Amino acid sequence: MGRPVTVFIVEDHPVVTEGVASWIHSDPGQRVRLVQTARDLSGLRDVPPEAADVVILDLELSGELVTDQIPGLVSAGYRVVAFSGHSDPVIVMETLDHGAHAYVSKEEGREHLVEAVLAAAADRPYVTRSQARAILDDQRPARPALSEQERQALLLWFQGMSKASVARRMAISENTVRQYISRARAKYAATGRTAPSKDALLARAIEDGVIKPAEIMQYESFARAAAARPSLGAPDS
Amino acid sequence: MTAVQPTAVLSGRYQRAFTIAVVFLVAGWHLGGAGGQLLHDQTAYASFAFQVAMWLVMALAVAAGAILVLRDTPRGEAARSQATRGKTPSWPAAWAVALVALAASTASAAASPASHMLAENWAWGSAGWIGVLVLLRRRFSELAWFLAAEAVATLSVQAWDGLHRTNLAGFLALFAWSTGAQVAVAAGVRALDLAADQAAAAARRENAARQRAAIAEVIRAARHSRWLALQETAVPLVAELAAGTADPGDIGVRIRCAVQAARLRRLLAEGDEVHGSLVHELHASADVAERRGVVVEIETAGSLPPVPAAARRVITDAAIAILTAAHSRTRITLAAVTAGIAVSFVADTGAAVRLPAAGEGVVIEQQQDDGTLWAEARWDGR
Repeated sequence: MGRPVTVFIVEDHPVVTEGVASWIHSDPGQRVRLVQTARDLSGLRDVPPEAADVVILDLELSGELVTDQIPGLVSAGYRVVAFSGHSDPVIVMETLDHGAHAYVSKEEGREHLVEAVLAAAADRPYVTRSQARAILDDQRPARPALSEQERQALLLWFQGMSKASVARRMAISENTVRQYISRARAKYAATGRTAPSKDALLARAIEDGVIKPAEIMQYESFARAAAARPSLGAPDS
Repeated sequence: MTAVQPTAVLSGRYQRAFTIAVVFLVAGWHLGGAGGQLLHDQTAYASFAFQVAMWLVMALAVAAGAILVLRDTPRGEAARSQATRGKTPSWPAAWAVALVALAASTASAAASPASHMLAENWAWGSAGWIGVLVLLRRRFSELAWFLAAEAVATLSVQAWDGLHRTNLAGFLALFAWSTGAQVAVAAGVRALDLAADQAAAAARRENAARQRAAIAEVIRAARHSRWLALQETAVPLVAELAAGTADPGDIGVRIRCAVQAARLRRLLAEGDEVHGSLVHELHASADVAERRGVVVEIETAGSLPPVPAAARRVITDAAIAILTAAHSRTRITLAAVTAGIAVSFVADTGAAVRLPAAGEGVVIEQQQDDGTLWAEARWDGR
């Protein structure tokens, strides 16, 4: 393991910030290091994208939903993990479509936030149960086509099973379960509006063998971005 | 239950019957009354051929009028969307037919021999009846204007021919007789229309009352079956507690109490026909577990189909069994799946739970992993 992943928290409630900090500190491997906190987005002015691997962004700052700020952050080069009290599938979908790496609801924070941050730093997909729910809920005509296996893995994961239990239920390996879920997420990175973070997720998914280029609907946009950004992946890889 | 016949359709049928009666009356008069008189007096006219031509023109007006009122009288599907009262012919169409008849009648009168005009004027009556036919369901004043115009036209023809006192008396007698009959028929049909409306409304009220009675019977039966269900399970438990044969300190008794309490709540929730009643009933079932300190989360994904009551009961029975066995947390999810719904439970029950029997289109599966139970009740709506 290389240096810890650096993280920046944008959260208007100090209590929540402290909670997140305590989850980070209680990680046995100390894999994440909190470098700075801010109560609103103006705090990001002093923190260039290189200074933190991941930004944990509360979607509601001072009573206002900031999902439409995500494209700007992502274009500037930040990796965003959204952390929110909302779990409305529509908001989750919008957040991902705008280019956030992952979505973690506040109920899922203790269990999933650190893992989601680590995955985001490596440009790897991390699918929380609230994301699985939003994908299962998705009825938009332009939604990507999921295979029966991907859908089943997402459903069992949404239902609350551990990945090991999902694997047992589907009579496949835990690794394959991860692969199905990650592939479903990668397919979403290939649809909707284009964002550098989504292209990075896709490129990494192809590198990891999670998804084949042929399975991606908008292969072109990925190719363009990959050409423009020769350096892919996380700082520790 | 049969669908209630809309009042408009019922009363429309009656109105159509009245219209057909008027059509027969008018056609019969023109054929028998006017036609018979024309044939009887055929030698009296200056030109019999011209009178026959006018008779044919008026016969066409009768036919046109009949088509007009029968086509526009409500019938079948189209009528259901129309207003309560049947549509009447539009004024240009109705008045065109009426004026053609009036013109033919006046021309026929003008061509009749002056001295015998009244006796041999077959056309007057027919024109009036045609007016009644097409203006029947339009404003009453329109018919009055038409009959007045006809009287003035006939009187003018007479005045042109030279008005005699006897002729005037004859005119007034004929006017009173023929116009009186025509107004009486028009007024009668209006009264019958009104009666038809009332009859239809009464029939509809009766039908609605019968339906309400049927619904009340269904509700009563449902209540009775719920009461019976309680008799089998909750009442004996209460009796045992009261008699002291069941010990509240016993964990088994406490579980039985929790299950019965949850069932009572579900029975109460079943009565509320709210949207998403399965979610509602699951919330009600979770209530007792939550009081015990079990954290219950309920989440849904996708647009859930409505589930019939019998299948809902199988699902909530499973929920009650699992919630009762859960130590500290239960996650319940409802997800729309192909042609149905998948309700799943993940709970720290510690051991496998004996789930109630599946059925009513619900298939229940479970899996146990290190003290955590996963169970899924899948209802297939196909």
